[in-house]
Amino acid sequence: MSESRREIWKQGLWNNNPGLVQLLGLCPLLAVTGTAVNGLGLGLATLFVLTISNLAVSALRGIIRPEIRIPVFVLVIATLVTVVDLVMQAWFSSLSRTLGIFIPLIVTNCTILGRAEAFASRRPMADALSDGLAQGTGFAAVLVVLGAGREIVGRGTLMADAHLLLGDWARSLEMSVLPQETGLLLAVLPPGAFIGLGLMVAARNRIIRSRNARTRAAASTRHQTA
Amino acid sequence: MLRTLFTLGLIGLLAAALLSGVHLATRDRIASEQQRQALATLNQLVPESAYDNELIEDRFSTRIPGLPTLATLYRARLDDAPVALLADIITPDGYSGDIRLLVGVHPDGEVIGVRILEHRETPGLGDQIELERSNWIRQFKGASLVDPPAESWASDKRGGAFDTLSSATITSSAVIDAVRRVLAWYSANRDNAFAIEAESGDPSTP
Repeated sequence: MSESRREIWKQGLWNNNPGLVQLLGLCPLLAVTGTAVNGLGLGLATLFVLTISNLAVSALRGIIRPEIRIPVFVLVIATLVTVVDLVMQAWFSSLSRTLGIFIPLIVTNCTILGRAEAFASRRPMADALSDGLAQGTGFAAVLVVLGAGREIVGRGTLMADAHLLLGDWARSLEMSVLPQETGLLLAVLPPGAFIGLGLMVAARNRIIRSRNARTRAAASTRHQTA
Repeated sequence: MLRTLFTLGLIGLLAAALLSGVHLATRDRIASEQQRQALATLNQLVPESAYDNELIEDRFSTRIPGLPTLATLYRARLDDAPVALLADIITPDGYSGDIRLLVGVHPDGEVIGVRILEHRETPGLGDQIELERSNWIRQFKGASLVDPPAESWASDKRGGAFDTLSSATITSSAVIDAVRRVLAWYSANRDNAFAIEAESGDPSTP
């Protein structure tokens, strides 16, 4: 993996994660993360749209004049989302009913337009592909972790309804982590989404701060011994 | 300028072509998927072996007094004899808005069963109306406007004959009331409920 490719992945997963740092696409992020499976479903759909739209925008970047770039981006994204929506209705209909309105709403997920404008329209296709995969994976990871956290705290289960997404074999993935009676209702309700995301952002900040402190400490020890 | 317009137009055309292709490829599958789901819902109350007509096709819409949304009624028949009337209705009286439910009525006016199709009731409290979460919804089986008498069709919290979900009196009452309204409509239309001509066209999507 080349240096720039590694940097792109680092940006998408951690340094510039769309969910935790850019805080883009919060509406679907907060709304569907009641369970880990819902988060995974929307995460995969977003990952797919983001990757293909990055590729398409990068491929078209030579022929698109700046005046028409935003309409073209929107057209590309809206087309891809409609394709995903139709395919999900045809082959994953129960999941498509669960995620319902949020699939068409990927159109309005600013992450996708943001990456098209800020990255894909200026870089070669290979980089745009990596960026789409990296940012999409970063976003999906936040959705799954937040969904899993809310599901465990609120309902005491993990991976409930996995068969809607992955087929019948996945029924066995469902686990009871906590007894149902201990479920904290708040976690599943909308406020739980805000609290959960807030905790994740805070955890990330804390990790960064302690890492910085360690680097500084290491640097000053080196300084003293030198 | 012209070239810019041409580019935009070309990209638009490509997008349209791609979309029509995907639409054509998925159209039949989406329609049959919706049909299958509609039928699976209805079969929860009337097993496939109990009727021999095209249940999905044998339906009509009507207004049930007290429910603002048009109801869809399906009829199951065996050798042309009525087996069940299935009412797909929406009550606006839930705690968090609409509750959509399916009420199965035996030709003699007894409830075959009730299933919740869609709702937004509070998780952990009102969502106990779902069969997957509690057996509350089963209490309607066998009920009719005679047993319990029509005036007792209320939650026991409000002096009626039906169990109330704890901390979800509004939700419980909305469901009880909606079931009662279907039975009342049926008792007023008992003579023609199975005679009304079926509507044609695409099946609505329950």
